[in-house]
Amino acid sequence: MEKVIDVQHLRKSFGNNEVLKDIDFSVSKGEVVCIIGSSGSGKSTLLRCINLLETPTSGEIIYNGKNILDDKHNIYSYRTKLGMVFQQFNLFNNHNVLSNCTVGQIKVLKREKEEAEEIALKYLENVGMAQYINAMPRQLSGGQKQRVAIARALSMEPDVMLFDEPTSALDPETVGEVLKVMKDLAKSGLTMLVVTHEMGFAREVSDRVIFMDKGVIAEEGKPEEIFNNPKEKRTKEFLHRILSNN
Amino acid sequence: MSLKLMADIFINNWPMFMRGAGMTLLISMIGTIIGLVIGILVGIIRTIPVPEKGAKRTLLVIVNKLLSIYVEFFRGTPMIVQSMVIFYGTAQAFGIQMNRIMAGILIVSINTGAYMSEIVRGGIVSIDHGQFEASDAIGMNHMQTMINVVMPQVVRNILPATGNEFVINVKDTSVLNIISVTELFFQTKSIAGATFKFFEPYFIASIIYLIMTITITRVLRCIERRMDGPASFIMAGNQMQVERPEDIVYKKNKDR
Repeated sequence: MEKVIDVQHLRKSFGNNEVLKDIDFSVSKGEVVCIIGSSGSGKSTLLRCINLLETPTSGEIIYNGKNILDDKHNIYSYRTKLGMVFQQFNLFNNHNVLSNCTVGQIKVLKREKEEAEEIALKYLENVGMAQYINAMPRQLSGGQKQRVAIARALSMEPDVMLFDEPTSALDPETVGEVLKVMKDLAKSGLTMLVVTHEMGFAREVSDRVIFMDKGVIAEEGKPEEIFNNPKEKRTKEFLHRILSNN
Repeated sequence: MSLKLMADIFINNWPMFMRGAGMTLLISMIGTIIGLVIGILVGIIRTIPVPEKGAKRTLLVIVNKLLSIYVEFFRGTPMIVQSMVIFYGTAQAFGIQMNRIMAGILIVSINTGAYMSEIVRGGIVSIDHGQFEASDAIGMNHMQTMINVVMPQVVRNILPATGNEFVINVKDTSVLNIISVTELFFQTKSIAGATFKFFEPYFIASIIYLIMTITITRVLRCIERRMDGPASFIMAGNQMQVERPEDIVYKKNKDR
């Protein structure tokens, strides 16, 4: 299968603390990959390195055959190809719901306002937020904000969607509405890379699960393999801890 | 001193008081607005992320140094001294003749700019880091982030501080009487000189200053409330506000 993102020998240190130690992995077109692991294992950092919110210390990130860590590469146009959904939603507080989804299209992709609004409305309808187009972010609940954030990322029509613990800041009741949207997206064939603590979601939706521990990929494979027959001891321990809590 | 005397002085001289008050308002308002613009520009430039190497880095470092010198100099010297240097000083040393009012506006503007740039910097720092990250993730560069996301929020947040500066400027323009700008204090001084009364004219002037500053505070408070809007979104509360997706499609088709 065609690789969209190929990460090779990626390392990231904050001072003397090496958070990512020689990571190799790739995401193919149309694939849904979930990254699981305990806090501090480096999964969020990995995701943030991929769209260069953190600058990797060394290694290569190959996007459609080109190394984006080359000096000459335009990181702004690269970032428009990756949609990012944050744990803390990060909607633009000074824009209403509709304009949150159009501002990037108009200012960065230089689309016409009407076209941008049409596209934004399509995705806002997909996430069930079309009635709220005039609402400001502070007037919305957490689940609503996250659905708008997903629509905002989708409105840029990216090749890959990155989700950084999208349900971790939500209360248990609203987690469901966001997960449902994400499941629908996964079914539609979108390429997705999801950092999550929702084991049910990872098991049900993903094509591949990556388990990270202390800055390395400890184990990866099909969800059935990881969840039913984990090979590594630390994977077993992690799953045991997580599943016994629920 | 009597109320009658006070009333007489006001009735006989009210055009002068009003002209003075008008000049004070004009200079302080234009000065505050230009100062705010200077502050925003300096704030934007000072928060450009400095690259690790290259010519752009050297340039940015030099520009940042110059900007801090500007801020330090105008914050650290009295406006009355700056007025003398800029108006009489440059006239004598370099032969630059300036219009008095223009000089007044210039002095107030660059002074306010120095204060505002620190206020704006504080405003930028206080914006949630997630706003910057979301803008980065969507592919915006520094300028686009600042214009579309950060500055609108900063301006809202620094509005109280800007109002403060405005009020301070209304009062501080009185030092411009040193370069004979015909603002309220200068006019009052002339009236006092002509009538040989000191309590009444200056008392009237202080009341006028008070009216101006209180009005400004109230008006700004109104603007703030208006910018904030309602705290909750009522979907069917007012049908005029609600625009359904169908309405947008309908409007668009109608225009064609």
